[in-house]
Amino acid sequence: MIHFDEFQLENGLTVIFHKDHTTPMAVVNTLYKVGAIDEEEDKTGFAHLFEHLMFGGSIHIPNFDTPLQEAGGENNAFTSNDITNYYEVLPKENIEIALWLESDRMLSLAFTEKSLEVQRNVVIEEFKQRYLNQPYGDVWLELRPLAYKEHPYKWATIGKSIEHIENATMEDVKAFFKKFYSPSNAILSICGNFELNEIKALVHKWYSDIPAGEENQRKIPKEPQQTEFREKTIEREVPADAFYYAFKMCDKNSPEYVVTDLLSDLLGREKSSRLYVSLKKEMQLVSEISAYILGSLDEGLLIVSGKLNEGVCFEMLDEALWEELEKVKKEEISEEEMQKLLNKFLTAKAFEEQNILNRAMNLCYYKMLGDTNRINEETELYKKVTSKDILDVANDVLQKTKCSLLKVKAKNVR
Amino acid sequence: MLDRTKQPEIKEIEKVDFLKPKVLPISEYTELYHISAVPNETCRLDLHFQAGSVTGKGIIPGTVNGLLLSGTNEKSAIKIASEIDALGGFFNSSASLEYAVLTIYCLRENLIPLFDIVMDAIQNVAFHEKEVKEYLSDKKQRFKINMGKVSFLAQMEYRKRIFSTHPDYAKTASLEDYDNVSIEDLQAFHQKHYLKGLSHVSLVGDVGDQELAHIIDAVKNMSRDQKIEFEKTIKNERGVFHVKKEGALQNAIRIGRTIFTKKHKDFIDFTILNTVLGDYFGSRLMSNIREDKGYTYGIGSFVMELKNTGYFTIGTEVRADVKDATIKEIKKEIERLQIELVSKEELDLVKNYIVGQVLKDSDGPFSQMDAFLNVRLQDMDLDFYNKAIQRTKEIKPEKIQEVARKYLNWEEMTIVSAG
Repeated sequence: MIHFDEFQLENGLTVIFHKDHTTPMAVVNTLYKVGAIDEEEDKTGFAHLFEHLMFGGSIHIPNFDTPLQEAGGENNAFTSNDITNYYEVLPKENIEIALWLESDRMLSLAFTEKSLEVQRNVVIEEFKQRYLNQPYGDVWLELRPLAYKEHPYKWATIGKSIEHIENATMEDVKAFFKKFYSPSNAILSICGNFELNEIKALVHKWYSDIPAGEENQRKIPKEPQQTEFREKTIEREVPADAFYYAFKMCDKNSPEYVVTDLLSDLLGREKSSRLYVSLKKEMQLVSEISAYILGSLDEGLLIVSGKLNEGVCFEMLDEALWEELEKVKKEEISEEEMQKLLNKFLTAKAFEEQNILNRAMNLCYYKMLGDTNRINEETELYKKVTSKDILDVANDVLQKTKCSLLKVKAKNVR
Repeated sequence: MLDRTKQPEIKEIEKVDFLKPKVLPISEYTELYHISAVPNETCRLDLHFQAGSVTGKGIIPGTVNGLLLSGTNEKSAIKIASEIDALGGFFNSSASLEYAVLTIYCLRENLIPLFDIVMDAIQNVAFHEKEVKEYLSDKKQRFKINMGKVSFLAQMEYRKRIFSTHPDYAKTASLEDYDNVSIEDLQAFHQKHYLKGLSHVSLVGDVGDQELAHIIDAVKNMSRDQKIEFEKTIKNERGVFHVKKEGALQNAIRIGRTIFTKKHKDFIDFTILNTVLGDYFGSRLMSNIREDKGYTYGIGSFVMELKNTGYFTIGTEVRADVKDATIKEIKKEIERLQIELVSKEELDLVKNYIVGQVLKDSDGPFSQMDAFLNVRLQDMDLDFYNKAIQRTKEIKPEKIQEVARKYLNWEEMTIVSAG
């Protein structure tokens, strides 16, 4: 059970406080409801580029990192398709440094040309390092537009192409800040060995004078229902053929979400999972195989991916895979297998909650979903899943007409 | 009116509290370390073996490590995996240069049954031909994939050069290695390094004496029967080395030299110097090469310790056309540290940052255990950390310069690139 208190400032900022008396550290986590999902199609990669700019100095503070490091702290951030998340971890005595820094960059950035210029280059190198200069690095750049036709999930957070990043202007940067970086579009969580009134006073001190700004209402194009099997083959200089089956699944707020999560575990989380045992250990078709969900806010994807053994062709894999999927759609899983999935979940969850930073990030995330207390209700939802639920969701999700298949074919590798 | 230009006051950390684990003897040369103060049901058990890659021929050590749960004469690999999963356990095994570690993560009620499953599997592993072949074929494919990464190519070359005086440390795998593994070699290595190679055990979890006794009893026979000795002096090969990769968009760079462990009198001073140079976001290298020039997504430096020796490395991946410019800037930054004194402001910042990191790295029972193991393996005590904090707080700019002049001479470096 994670205890927390919640309050809101007049400017719309939501604040969550979680007391942990066992740690000498404090975590300040800020979630902004902006991600790649909010980008224009001709200006992709912008939410992520903007995340980099948030470290280029704010209106009253020339350098973000220096004071934080001086306070013995560290920070980082990430951008997903749905959100942008910033955190600071520092000795609890110095928490005010983190609040001072975060509140100032919520108030306004410094917007320097130099920072924009440098971070454009840094992000372009990140693009190359992660997506272009790695074997299989570009599969998500190919798979997303295959699986999504209208919804902005069709591009990756890094963006569609390097050109979009090169073309970002200061005007874009300012407009983006104005639209998305306001208190009402943010959720702040603070964890550590403090008292509630102490935190309230500090948050009021640093955040209450920030203007409310405009509230942003997301208007995301809806993805039309997929009704046909999609397939694409790309050839790359890689040593092994690889496959990515992407099945459309429900959004994060649907009751089926946790069921789909367990279904993906059943298929391919561990070395005793269905696909691993059958396609790898028994039939020796693949060198690796796994199944997982992407965890997105809107309609998401359940992925089955892996690499073929030498001498195995895509058709053999395809036939064997669908045979296994059909089994999951026909027969309810045993009590024993159900318990196994749940036990794995419970262990993983206990380890995740052990970490104070995870708790801080999850508190913000669940609040964004609509109810912070879901952080405590999640386990019950998993416990309630029945084998009948899994069967139903398997029949709904694992259909050819909901599937997009990307094949990476190896070409003449030396 | 709130004055936002005024930075809130920073309070310095004076001392960090470390928790000494309970130390229980297993045999003459092995011990079990236990921390029971865990706020929830989580449990982590690590079995450390003297079975790292330098302790055997070619890829034998890594292969044995990867095959430990591949089946016994009674149980298949699938059966073992299913039993572990049924109890909600996670198992991980890895081999570094000198040691190999097997880890069980679980809820405490399942610890003993999981431990028994894992012990049975690793003690009686049969090295079935089918499993060995499958494993090697997977690894060969993985190796081919890695060969497509400039970072991996640079790392392999770097390893050859940095450990040049010692072939067991300098060795790297080649494709043919995966076709030339004999089952007899695997069995012999397993016999010597696992059945008789246990170095120590660490356990974090709120479990009682009965469980501890059960574990100690079960591993007793696997304990090593002598003190561990690893290589004491390794020297890097100086010079510039490049590995060609056609069509690479980025070049990977590794620059470094062999150095010492925390037992050496200059260790703390050197790690402070390392932090200034490249071990935090505001470091000299990050500020120049990422934040000023935008050549890279990231650059950093670190000190890696082995049992009796260590090495220092700078690593980055940069735009293909600025490889030489980057190396030149790295050289410039190192020489600046030898010529100019670090300012008091910069050094104070680094000092506070380091102490904050010590505090963070000791937060929670799992981190406390890791901090303890780091000193214990060098036959040192936890007071090392608070002594290190004191020394960090007291260090002067002149000392940083002195250490830079002593250990960061460009002509003593191994300089590797790939791309």
